[in-house]
Amino acid sequence: MIPRMPSNRDVPLLRRQPLEGAYVLLTFRHPEVAREARAGQFVMIKAGTSADPPLRRPFSILSLDPGEESFTLFIKAVGTGSIALAAMAPGEVAQCLGPLGRPFAAPPRGTEAVMVAGGYGIAPFHMLSAELSREGRARQVFYGGRTVADLQVRAPFEALGVPLTPATEDGTLGHRGRVTEPLEAYLDRAPAPVRLYACGPDAMLHAVARLAERRGLDTQVSLDPWMGCGIGTCLGCVVWIQEAEEARPKYRCACTEGPVFDAATVVWHGEPASLARRRQETRA
Amino acid sequence: MNLGVDVAGIRLKNPLIAASGTFGYGVEYEGLLDLSLLGGLVSKGLYLEPRDGCPTPRIVETPSGLLNAIGLQGVGVRTFVKDVLPRLAGYDTAVLVNVCGDTVEEYAEVTRVLDGVPGVAGLEINISCPNVKKGGMAFGGDPKMTYEVVAAVREATRLPVIPKLSPNVADITVFARAAEEAGADALSCINTLLGLAIDVETRKPRLAFGTGGLSGPAIRPIAVRMTWQAARAVRIPVIGIGGISSAADALEFLIAGARAVQVGTANFVDPGVYTRILDGLEAYLTRHALDDIGAVVATLDFPGASK
Repeated sequence: MIPRMPSNRDVPLLRRQPLEGAYVLLTFRHPEVAREARAGQFVMIKAGTSADPPLRRPFSILSLDPGEESFTLFIKAVGTGSIALAAMAPGEVAQCLGPLGRPFAAPPRGTEAVMVAGGYGIAPFHMLSAELSREGRARQVFYGGRTVADLQVRAPFEALGVPLTPATEDGTLGHRGRVTEPLEAYLDRAPAPVRLYACGPDAMLHAVARLAERRGLDTQVSLDPWMGCGIGTCLGCVVWIQEAEEARPKYRCACTEGPVFDAATVVWHGEPASLARRRQETRA
Repeated sequence: MNLGVDVAGIRLKNPLIAASGTFGYGVEYEGLLDLSLLGGLVSKGLYLEPRDGCPTPRIVETPSGLLNAIGLQGVGVRTFVKDVLPRLAGYDTAVLVNVCGDTVEEYAEVTRVLDGVPGVAGLEINISCPNVKKGGMAFGGDPKMTYEVVAAVREATRLPVIPKLSPNVADITVFARAAEEAGADALSCINTLLGLAIDVETRKPRLAFGTGGLSGPAIRPIAVRMTWQAARAVRIPVIGIGGISSAADALEFLIAGARAVQVGTANFVDPGVYTRILDGLEAYLTRHALDDIGAVVATLDFPGASK
């Protein structure tokens, strides 16, 4: 799918719903995003027009409400940009550009979508779950974090009727340990073919990519490098990507050519080539 | 009301130019804004061959600023001419190309590739990038090398030649004069300031390259000062650059002596920046009962100095 041109707008904050800790849900009015965004896409957004911090921040879109012409972001207030956003009051205006980036591709017919989220990486999977639910597709979520407070977005999945398996390293919710453990247990007995979708910390993405390689599973990962502009000109968010036919990897912008990539084309840290390339070389 | 200006024989419909390295090759902004709004645009820096650029992280925010070490990732000048330039032909804006080189000879060769190519209005010579090991700032930090690069480019083309000066020098007028003597038609002033941001937890630089170039509102007073100094030191026009994101910012440079200005980091923040600045410039001229933007240029009333 070729992404539509994003719209640059001043967007009013409609609702602010604080969650535990530094987390908050923010709902903004933006007709184009509400109408056109697809799961996996993001917006670049900034509270007000102050020069400090200068740049907008990228956030995955958690959900849409076309009737209200709004979208909702799941924000963890940890840096200057996200803290300023989280402090906004309803009626205040943010600068917003979106929707941006390439969305997730739906799984082939008869294939189950298995989503793997690490903490904050849950954001794009609510929309993906909603899209797949509307089409009556098989889907479920594995949701991991350090502790229960990292697993803030659970109720919306329940509302959609999407099975969700939590895992926490300290055992405060669900499986005690890493999210890849219950995931692997499920994959051992999965009744149908599976496509994996992963979003979260790099170490988790890499672990999912490795287990997917072992099991021969098609996997889409949403990468989250530091992003400056969101439209492919600052070249700050580049990642090493290597298609099967490419002799060497190329830096590609996560904002315009991602953030969703086929895990087999990502050159993971410490690896000499992408899986797609290694397979190609083995064949040749 | 006339916002048009002439710089180095290039007619710009207004004094706003998109700065190199902040506007891709222009085509990235198609659909987000009408490129014909711009007086001109400067391409990302181009060598003869494609470049990967620096490892990541490449950018980090600092107070009111952006520190970057992209390292001139680019497609190479031939791909630009073949694939990108034709896409810009439909827009009513001056296309300038930012020329890079590891050696004096490479600058001249890139220039020869661009000489006579339809759609190229002028060349900006990058002797000031702080994020490459060869070329870049190494040439812009030595007046003799500045002269040599500009003279070599001058000899290789009839296109307007506009060296982009480095602020990382003690006296920018020395470099402005060296470039003028070597045959430059105008000067771009300034590139980024060399900076270093440190992660105190790991005690490592926050950029993979180590140091980076600082841009954005944080550097504007330095850029205005250097534009003012350079404009007084040479007869050729100066294009002011550094932290411009509003009409008032642009006017500071024009009043300091710039004939035109470039908008850089603000492109990353707001694609609507050009419309805002143009509206603001018109409002300013109306407010001051002027009908030509040129009437503002070099009108600084500096204490104790003759104009």
